[in-house]
This record gives sequence, C-alpha cells and structure tokens, in this order.
Amino acid sequence: MSFIPGHPVTAVVQRIEIHKLRDGDNLILGFSIGGGIDQDSSQNPFSEDKTDKGIYVTRVSKGGPAEVAGLRMGDKIMQVNGWDMTMVTHDQARKKLTKKNEDVVRLLVTRKSLENAIRQSMMQH
Amino acid sequence: MQKPAQKEAKSSDSHSSQQDLMKTSSAEDEKGDVDLYRGEEEIQKELQDKQQPKSAAVGETQSSVSAAEDLQTYSEREWKGNTAKSLLIRKGYEAIASEFNLRRVRGDNYCALRATLFQVLSQSKQLPALLHDSEISEWPKEMHSDQDFIREWQFPFEISKSKVQHLEQCLELLKNKWQEAVQCKSLEERERMCQQVFRGHDEEYELLEALKFLMLRTAIQLHSDMEKGSDVPEFCWLLFARDSSKCPKTFLTNHLRHVGFSGGLEQVEMCLLGYCLQETIQVVRLYKCDTEEFITYYPNDHKNASPLCLLTEDDRHYNVLVPKKSSKFDSYGRPKWNPPSDGQSSITTHL
Repeated sequence: MSFIPGHPVTAVVQRIEIHKLRDGDNLILGFSIGGGIDQDSSQNPFSEDKTDKGIYVTRVSKGGPAEVAGLRMGDKIMQVNGWDMTMVTHDQARKKLTKKNEDVVRLLVTRKSLENAIRQSMMQH
Repeated sequence: MQKPAQKEAKSSDSHSSQQDLMKTSSAEDEKGDVDLYRGEEEIQKELQDKQQPKSAAVGETQSSVSAAEDLQTYSEREWKGNTAKSLLIRKGYEAIASEFNLRRVRGDNYCALRATLFQVLSQSKQLPALLHDSEISEWPKEMHSDQDFIREWQFPFEISKSKVQHLEQCLELLKNKWQEAVQCKSLEERERMCQQVFRGHDEEYELLEALKFLMLRTAIQLHSDMEKGSDVPEFCWLLFARDSSKCPKTFLTNHLRHVGFSGGLEQVEMCLLGYCLQETIQVVRLYKCDTEEFITYYPNDHKNASPLCLLTEDDRHYNVLVPKKSSKFDSYGRPKWNPPSDGQSSITTHL
C-alpha cells in the first residue's frame, strides 16, 4: 500500500478482536510487532513503501490468541482500541497493546493480500 | 456565611438547645426550677466550635483541597500494620507513587464532586460544549416548568431567593469560574484561583450544586433519547435500571438530591458526571489493586486522552491525583512526547 505523508491513505481494513490469554500474572497476545516512528523503517520486510513508519506484525505464534483471532504476519496495525497506531513510537505501540486492565484488544489492520485481491478484482472490470 | 460542615454541627447544637428549651418549658410546668440559661462553659465551647470548623480530611487549614504530598509517605503513615487489606492498599499506592502526588479532599459527601471539580478547574483546557450555550440561565426555569423538578432541590446553605433563581446563579458561577480557569496564563495563577474557590465557603458549594444540576439535565436528555430508541452510552441503561431510579424524577428524588447530604456518588453516577462534562474521570481504586478494576474510567469508553485523575481507597472517599514532576506527564497533565530517535534501531517486541 502506498503511504505518502499528507495524502489520504486508501486501504482495505480488517477488524481483529484478540482475547488475551492469561498466563499467571501476564496477559499474552501471541504476536510480535516491529516498526514505529523511532525505528529504522528500511528494515521492514512487509511494507511496500520503505519510508512507512507504521507498526507491523512480524510474527504470529501458532495457535495463540492473535492467530485464533485472524491476525497474520505482515499485517499493518492502524488502530488499537480506537487509538491511532500510524504515528507512534515502538514503545507507545507496545503499551497500547499490553494494558493490564484490558482483556480484549480490537485492532484495525490492513493486509497486502486483501489489497491485492481487491485490486485484481477491480482490474478485471 | 456559614460553612456547611460547621453548619451541621451548629444545627445539631441549635436543634438540641431547641429541644432543651421545649423540654424546659414543659418541665417548668411541673418543676419550675430548671435552668433556662446556658452555662459559661457551654457558651465558650460554642464560640470555639465556630472558630475551628471540623474539616476531617484536611487538617487545620480552611482549604477543601490540601497541598500535594508524596503518596508513598502518605501510604506508610496511614496504613501501618500487616493485615491483608493494609498490604493490598499499600501495594496500590506503591504502584502509582512514581507517577502521582496526592492532594487530599475535604471528606464530606460532596467529595467525589469536589475532587472532580477541582481537577476540572485546575486542568481543563476549554469549556465543555454544554456550557457554551447562551441560554444556560434559562435551564432551571425550563426544567422546573417541565415536571416541577426543582421543588425538591436541597441546598447546603440558606438561600434568599427561589430555588430556581438560585440554581441560575450557581450555573452562571460555574460557567464564569470555568472560563476564568481556562484563561489563566500560568500554573501559579490557576492554582491561586483554585485556592480561592476551594475554601469551604458558599461559592464552592454553589459550584458543586451546579454540577448536580448539569447531571440532572443530562440524565433527562439521555432518558428521553432512550425512550425514543436513539443510541445512548452504555451507562444510561445501568443508571435507569435501578428500581429506585427508573426515570429522571426518581433519580432526583432518591439519589441526586441526597448527594452531599446523606450520600455520595455511585459509580454509574460518576459515569454520568464524566459524560456531562465531556471528561473522562480516571479513578485509581486501591481496594481493587491486583484486579482489572484497579484503574477504572468513568465513563469507560475513555474518549478523553487527558483524563481527570482521582484516587479512592473504597469507592466512598475520593482524593485528587496530580502528576509528579518526574513523571511522563507535564505539569498540565499532558503526556510528554519522547523525541524520535535517529531511526537506527529496528527492534521487534513479542507480546
């Protein structure tokens, strides 16, 4: 997806509701994140635009809460519980996802495969 | 002007001296040797009571909200011992001690309203849409003519005009004070303004009564929306699900008009308060430490990124939390932004 600062982002979004798993004192989500405005975005293998400083899902644990909820590696996280994730530091993103008093996080994500599928179906018309 | 806390003491005194007088006059019929006059000691005591009003939570000062103090120190002083409860409460205090300092609030049944009002006047950056309305002074009249609502209103002080007129005055005062607060140019100026308001005088109570009025007005609007089938915030269903408050009238009669007198605010009423002021009230509830309700938002959709922070040990008495200088919030309660790094790191975090 193209992310040009200052231009509206047109993307297909998916809503993912993750129910955290309680493991003793911890609440587990079962995925890893990369990215953030304070990170080096050129290292991101999932973004189309290497200047995209958004938060991406770099790994999803097999059978974990995130996979069960439908999150996939490469997804870009746009929002967490209504909070914007497109302009946050890595640590800010981590915090929004790991609030101790929240059992459920609702993510808004965009996914390349979805985008490509839509683009292809549009091209056929 | 009399202070309500002291007024309670005085009215019970005058009540008992009334009773004494009554007893005396009937006793006189029988005995004729009962002393009608109070002794010197009684008079002295009454004078002393007048000069040192009881302000349980706040010590010798007149202020309704004390100066900031360290949470850890306070916790260790107030909760000595090793009962399960003490340990839990101290744990709660410790969890937030690096982020906040404590300001103790006068401990009467107004404390939830008072703590919220204090935070509003010291932090709010703008008037809520509700108060922008230029017709604000018409509202008490409108509400009263609708269903005779104001007849039952209780004030904690004597009023010289009608209840409706007095509520108009309270609302105007709230609007003016809020505007004054927002327009303060420095923290010191704002703090001075707050100290002027929170002195336990009638002005403070007029503002608190104005808040109650706004809550009622909002409840009436929300109830009407509910009846029409429009979307309402979740807490409305809870507010009007109680047998004792199925509609705004009974909400007023059985709950709201007693706030400050014989009762405080229930949690669902805290949601109403936050909602009508367009603020989110963030409460650290110490007895809920180690549970998901340790920090609860009223209302819980937490729309406001800069909530008003309060603390309670028991959901009954509320104190104010102010950010510590070294914390992640600046002195206005706004989050401090970390400067972005030069982008050399590319870490992943497993959650």
